Amino acid sequence: MAFGGFTTGRKPLAAVCEILRQGQTDLIGEGGPAGSDWDMLIGAGRVKAYINCYTANPRFSNVSRRFRAAIQEGSILFEDYSQDAQMTMFHAAAMGLPYVPVRMMLGSGMEKEWGLCEEERKKIDKLPNQKFLIQQNPFIPEEKLLLLPVPRLDTAIIHAQIASPDGTCRLLSDPFQDVDLAFAAKNTIVTCEELVSNEWIRREPEKNTIPGITVSAVVHLPYGGHPSQVYGYYDYDKEFYLEYDRAGKSDEAFQQFLKEWVYGVKNHAEYLEKLGVNRLLRLKNVPGYGFHVSDETIAEEESK
Amino acid sequence: MSESYTHGEMQAYTIARLIKKDQVVIVGTGLPLVGAILAKKRLQPTCRLIVESGLMDFNPKEIPRSVSDNRSMAHCAVACPPIRYLGYQANALLNHNDHLIGFIGGAAVDIYGNVSATSIGDYHHPKVRFPGSGGANGIASFVNTVIVMPHEKRRFVNEMPYITSPGWLDGPDGRKKGGLPTDRGPQVVVSNLGVMKFDTKTKKMYLWGYYPFTSPEEIAENTGFSMDLSQAKVLPEPDEDTVRFLREKIDPDHLYL
Repeated sequence: MAFGGFTTGRKPLAAVCEILRQGQTDLIGEGGPAGSDWDMLIGAGRVKAYINCYTANPRFSNVSRRFRAAIQEGSILFEDYSQDAQMTMFHAAAMGLPYVPVRMMLGSGMEKEWGLCEEERKKIDKLPNQKFLIQQNPFIPEEKLLLLPVPRLDTAIIHAQIASPDGTCRLLSDPFQDVDLAFAAKNTIVTCEELVSNEWIRREPEKNTIPGITVSAVVHLPYGGHPSQVYGYYDYDKEFYLEYDRAGKSDEAFQQFLKEWVYGVKNHAEYLEKLGVNRLLRLKNVPGYGFHVSDETIAEEESK
Repeated sequence: MSESYTHGEMQAYTIARLIKKDQVVIVGTGLPLVGAILAKKRLQPTCRLIVESGLMDFNPKEIPRSVSDNRSMAHCAVACPPIRYLGYQANALLNHNDHLIGFIGGAAVDIYGNVSATSIGDYHHPKVRFPGSGGANGIASFVNTVIVMPHEKRRFVNEMPYITSPGWLDGPDGRKKGGLPTDRGPQVVVSNLGVMKFDTKTKKMYLWGYYPFTSPEEIAENTGFSMDLSQAKVLPEPDEDTVRFLREKIDPDHLYL
């Protein structure tokens, strides 16, 4: 499984909370640029193996704390690739390629150490038996290449700004790896800020990024990216991320956090109710700035 | 001498001064971002900042926290997907484009500029785990880099069991043996105590410059390997205007400074 978004940007966190409530477990995660999406699932003990390249909520948690604890305690299977490698593997998956030859990771610890050895990999049928293979470039014999396997994704979950019931999506600004995930995965679930009609979204097809034929389900979840940022809509919730960081310092505090913000609410609507309307209004992006600024700041800037 | 700037401001200014006219600068977060924004807005306005999330030529109004921050997204030329950034990085090498410079950080660096950002201790059962490579491995593999690192003995290490971002690996032939391009690699290390470069022959780190508030001796004391100090000179300080600009315009909330 893989999530769209980038660390603290457009992460499908309402969907992650729902996975936690529904009880799915033994997940095999293709992390990509991860933040509290995979950190929450790891902290709740739902992840069997985590194929990772970067896990942090930058400037809030410079290393995601439950991810760090799980690796330090040895309670999770993990593998490290570079972000370049994981992005390339997602793109190759979207293209349906059998493998990709690259020069990434050569000479580094990611070449020398395998987080998951071949025997371990053979026990997990969702994973390829090798982390990679080394081969000479058949066209340039003196060039050493690393052949990356291409992941087969069962499920991708993406949070879009705008989608219509037939699955057509409009991702505003940087789409990150999300379009690749949608094309690659057997099932792609989209959560969206705004659900619009199939007819309306087709009025400007040049703004659309994911065709509905690659999407299995659309869920209308306004603020479904909270506490991450959603471009054009809202900023990150700094206080929430700081609270999350504090909660991550111990398993007890983290389980308490999950109890309060995940298991203690019935659904996303109740989560929003608990956050409160004024808190959400304080996150709203200001057009022209592209992020949240206070009325005072705008007035001050304009008076200069 | 009384200093009219903080140590962080000196470091950010030093970083900014490393950026040359028309350079394309790969930057992440932290002090490199502060330095790069200073370069873009004041010292080298023709430089172009790019990030691994795919944002091309950004110039934020407010300092971003992450490489995918709305603050960079809202004020950039093109918001490409990350694979386009990777393609740009790879083609800059293939096309012998020397305009590119990348800033990377991490947990520790050794004398050959190899950087660790994965873990300390045994990789499988680490004493301390870090976030992982992110884009740093690719930048270090294919782009000339500036490494930014707090200067402590435990971070400037003699041995590097797990290399996340390859520097010159084990010496002059290291990158060739490893399968990496030999005409790219770490160029400079900027710490809170001084600036190090790499000897063209041995590829070993040597002290190139120190700040008015540090000394080569202090730097040697905080370095876990022995380093040539003989070529070190004192580095220029930021002027009052630059310090005010850093404080009032770039990082007024002290996110990084």
